Amino acid sequence: MMPETTDVETINRRRMNLALGIVVLIASIPILVTYFILMASSFANQMITGSMVGQLTFTLRNWILFFEGKLTVASAAVYSAWDILRYILNTFIVAFGVMLVTTALATMAGYACSRMKFKGRKFLIQLLILLHAFPGVSLIIAVYALYIFSKEPIPSQWWTLYAFIYVIVARAALEIPMDIWIMKGFFDKVPWEVEWSALIDGASRIKVWKDIILPLVKPGIAAVAIFSFIAGWGALIYVLVFLPPTEKTLATYIAGLLAGGSLEVVHLPVVAAAGTLYLLPTLVFFSFVRRYMLQTSLSGIKG
Amino acid sequence: MVSIRLDKVTKRFGKVVAVNNVNLEIEDGKLYVLLGPSGGGKTTTLYLIAGIYKPTSGRIYFNEKDVTDLTPAERNVGLVFQNYALYPHMKVYDNIAFPLRLRKEPKSKIDSKVHEVAKFLRIENLLDRYPHQLSGGQQQRVALARALVKEPSVLLLDEPLSNLDALLRVYIRAELKRMQQDLGITSVYVTHDQSEALAIADKIVVINKGIIQQEGTPEQIYENPRNVFVATFIGNPPMNIVKGAVLEDGTIETTGSRLTPPPAVLEKIKRLKLKNILMAFRPENAVVSEHPMEGRFSPMGDLFEVEPLGRDAVVTVTVGEFVIKVVMPTKEAMQLRIGSKVYVNIDPNTIKYFDPNTELNLEYIEA
Repeated sequence: MMPETTDVETINRRRMNLALGIVVLIASIPILVTYFILMASSFANQMITGSMVGQLTFTLRNWILFFEGKLTVASAAVYSAWDILRYILNTFIVAFGVMLVTTALATMAGYACSRMKFKGRKFLIQLLILLHAFPGVSLIIAVYALYIFSKEPIPSQWWTLYAFIYVIVARAALEIPMDIWIMKGFFDKVPWEVEWSALIDGASRIKVWKDIILPLVKPGIAAVAIFSFIAGWGALIYVLVFLPPTEKTLATYIAGLLAGGSLEVVHLPVVAAAGTLYLLPTLVFFSFVRRYMLQTSLSGIKG
Repeated sequence: MVSIRLDKVTKRFGKVVAVNNVNLEIEDGKLYVLLGPSGGGKTTTLYLIAGIYKPTSGRIYFNEKDVTDLTPAERNVGLVFQNYALYPHMKVYDNIAFPLRLRKEPKSKIDSKVHEVAKFLRIENLLDRYPHQLSGGQQQRVALARALVKEPSVLLLDEPLSNLDALLRVYIRAELKRMQQDLGITSVYVTHDQSEALAIADKIVVINKGIIQQEGTPEQIYENPRNVFVATFIGNPPMNIVKGAVLEDGTIETTGSRLTPPPAVLEKIKRLKLKNILMAFRPENAVVSEHPMEGRFSPMGDLFEVEPLGRDAVVTVTVGEFVIKVVMPTKEAMQLRIGSKVYVNIDPNTIKYFDPNTELNLEYIEA
């Protein structure tokens, strides 16, 4: 039988895809296995470990316990169901807050860095990368000091609200430098001619930005949105430091369950249920935004 | 009805002078072509007229109105970019309607205008498509439609054909010229392609190094270039340049051959006290043969190559240090032997003389 002939310089597409797929699969095994254990455990009577696979039974009890705020089968409620719902809501507030602030500011600042001439522009762009390399934890004392000072003149009944705003802004501030950089890259790819063309057609600079440029950088906005959403969703230290102890997010709630000796008390499959729930929105949000990330709306421009 | 006037316009980008003290008048209803090599300042000049760039110094007038400080929208220009710059996320219809919507014209009026211009450019069937679903030629028409729909006082075209394939380019350029004449719209057209310029221009403005090298009708530019740059930029192949020495007896000697220039030329040579002179002639004004021809100036050289291009062939001859290209019928050219001694028989009446110091055509030097 004749072997399949291929051109010298082209690698067989199918085989290439297969090889890539296998590599990606192998690389993903540790992640997939841990996620599987987590999710499966939340529906099992005990945590899944290698030796006891035969003794597992399916149950929804962990989820029910979790939403009732009970951490073990025997214990009375440590948290009420309302607490859990509020934590979920808090998590969404922080995540969407960070996402909105970051995306809005990064989109505007990215445009300025890409398109406008101003003094110190180059230096600022270099500084953005440096800022990103700065670990947020190292700033926490200064950020906390600012928080205490700025909280002073505010009436105490507003403090909780202020804490939320402060967490969102502070956490967004850590994300913004890198996201400005990402957005700048997307704006750079939009040809000047498209912008000029709209100016000649009689649009104002703002209108050009809003109606012509923004639709063209949608993939960038989607990327920045998802990054900042995940950052807000997973925010731990800033939430822990600034939100009052009664206001938890899923991240600090789960961390609290695992920390400080409570491990011996809690029923771990309940924590697995919490962990699974904690993962879900990120997955949903990602699959929703992915569409935009892959959209190549610049393909209409030739030349 | 708009004429354009640039008055001592200079544009600097940092230290680079892109446009240097340009004075130019563009007549109403005419098609002017800004021609020059890339980086020569022609696109910058166009953008200055459009209002995308502000001149570093100098003023720009539309008719008698000073528009130097007006925005592009206030100047009411239509501009077609080299890459068309269509809005990729809008359908063709919305692309064309965009400038009208910005003017807040009523919907029914927008609709009729869009259809009118689409019909004129024969893209009515494309209105529902997105730009990336169109071919290059179709995108180009859409860009043109978008520029024309607002009935601009001036139409500006920046290398509008350079992204099209060669066949389409020749086809569309004829259409463009026809359209411009039908509409009678004052147009400025930028290109680096000299044949395109010769084909469609009412007037050509040759620009290099930010300076206008020559301005005139295609015939003037082709027949009587003002300087060596224009001579060697226009034509395919461009003019041949041969350097000669002026002898005591008033003849010019080059590579062993002698030529007596016309009296007017000789007079200028004497007045300018030129020791050397540059002679230029068009490839079609010479014939290569094995023997010198009567009444012709016939330096001798070696036949280097013959490239048949259908009816005509380009014959390359090395004469001393000079490489000369001659266009002649393929049939005659094919009878010559590569490497043999040949004569380049130049029609002496077609030779142009240039001052080697200033590189100016002697005819353009005031007597």
